[in-house]
Amino acid sequence: MIKVENLTKRYGATTAVSGISFEVPKGEVVGFLGPNGAGKTTTMRIITGSLGATEGRVTLDGQDVFEHPAETKRRIGYLPEVPPLYTDMRVRDYVRFAGKLKGVDDPKAAAEKVIDRVGLRPVAHRIIDHLSKGYRQRCGVAQALVHDPDVLILDEPYSGLDPAQRLEIRELLQELAQEERTVILSTHVLADIEAMCERVVIINQGQMVGQGPIDELSSVLGARSIMLTVARPQGLQDTLMAVQGVVSVEPQGGQFRVITEGEDLREQIAAAAITHGLLELSGRQSLEDIFLHLTRTQTAPDSGAEA
Amino acid sequence: MRNTFAIAGRELRSYFATPVGWLSLTGYVFLTGFFFLAFLLYYNEQAATMGFNPYGEADMNVDEWLVAPFFGNANIILLFLCPALTMRLLAEDRKSKSLELLLTSPISTTEIVLGKYLGALGFVLVLFAGTLHYPALLMWMGDPDPGILASCYLSWTMMTACFMAVGLMASAFTENQMVAMILAFGLLLIFWLLGWMESGLGSTGFQATIKEVLSFASLVNRTEDMQKGLIHTKDLVYFASFIGFFLFVTHQRVEAYRWR
Repeated sequence: MIKVENLTKRYGATTAVSGISFEVPKGEVVGFLGPNGAGKTTTMRIITGSLGATEGRVTLDGQDVFEHPAETKRRIGYLPEVPPLYTDMRVRDYVRFAGKLKGVDDPKAAAEKVIDRVGLRPVAHRIIDHLSKGYRQRCGVAQALVHDPDVLILDEPYSGLDPAQRLEIRELLQELAQEERTVILSTHVLADIEAMCERVVIINQGQMVGQGPIDELSSVLGARSIMLTVARPQGLQDTLMAVQGVVSVEPQGGQFRVITEGEDLREQIAAAAITHGLLELSGRQSLEDIFLHLTRTQTAPDSGAEA
Repeated sequence: MRNTFAIAGRELRSYFATPVGWLSLTGYVFLTGFFFLAFLLYYNEQAATMGFNPYGEADMNVDEWLVAPFFGNANIILLFLCPALTMRLLAEDRKSKSLELLLTSPISTTEIVLGKYLGALGFVLVLFAGTLHYPALLMWMGDPDPGILASCYLSWTMMTACFMAVGLMASAFTENQMVAMILAFGLLLIFWLLGWMESGLGSTGFQATIKEVLSFASLVNRTEDMQKGLIHTKDLVYFASFIGFFLFVTHQRVEAYRWR
């Protein structure tokens, strides 16, 4: 449904995004993952048509977002990292105004519907400036949802929220994601992606590092992480680094995190660790580990991982 | 067009959602009242003196001695007020990131620019409505020419429309409202002073050429005839081109937001 082809964006001499390509099928929820400054926001802004690409193109069901902005923008709802609020307006007026701009036939009715949908009813008559951060975020969601778009693009929807607000917004977004919408959600918090997304696209320093279904990601990326607990840790690092395929061994809170490349090496690692008094070995894939590994190594397997 | 009016309506309401609108309205009505009183007193004094002069009495009329100077001198309030009214139009949207709502909506850049412009202009018309009691008083107590009064309001509207176009452009070039205001005020002051420079030049040779150029470019001089009730097509064309030029630059600037 959404097709991003060879997208590149340069600001003068700096390249923010370089040759990113991915596809999002209809109804799928995709996590867009990367550290701050990786180019997530730039990519999302290009998809929504608020920013022009230097090279490459973005199509929505075959329609280029830059050649047909009116048609494609009507189908996309966008929640930027800072919600685009007019804080001097009342919630209801703001949502109606957004509805008018998005070309909704009956902005009044659409506004009332979305106010109920995102839980803004208790504050509908209040001035946005006087609202809590959680409610403001809901106003941002309302703005993105008022024209009932099939595509929802959410840029760091949880940033700056306290844990309770975070949970509220997460529940709301999870509900929205289940409604036959195509969703792209960017974040640098992995738990959010693990909770909602079926697939992830990882970018770092403007380059795509990998993409794939969330449960197969480690194999797609060619990296796995294994957690080890041993009785006698002295010399463990050297022992394990000698095993072929082990990329790094790092202590982490009493345990060791071992990153391996290629096939499953749990057996070999267990065999090597036995001399150190192996107590526990867990092969649970943690996105965080892989993510750290990928974004730390400059020679990320970008070309191979795209397939 | 629907989008333009939606944006214009929001802008207009936002003046009244903050103290800016009410303060401007109060200040404007107070200051124009002050100007009106000053010229009324001057007119009274002149009328009393002229009464002794058989030729002078025939010369005295309220249009030339009260209406024209009042409208002409009250121009200066708008010179100060307009930059303050236009400074936030685009600068604030960029600063608070609400611009993103406009840029991701299915609306054209022209609609954004025109909407912002008409919203600000609409507010000035509200200000002008707050001065209608002066002509009303004159109509009640005296005998002014209603055509001239209408022409005077047209001159204010035209001049303000030009000021607003400059102000909107300044606001498009920065995220900082203060910078937008100073930039707009500086530009307007240049256009204002062109008229003064012109009056110091001679009427022969090179000076005459400069004088003609300045007189052509001067914004405020164009309102003088209008405040005497003379509406020239060339002046209307000048105002329209002036507004068109600055709105065009604003449009190009807003379009450029998508590329940086």
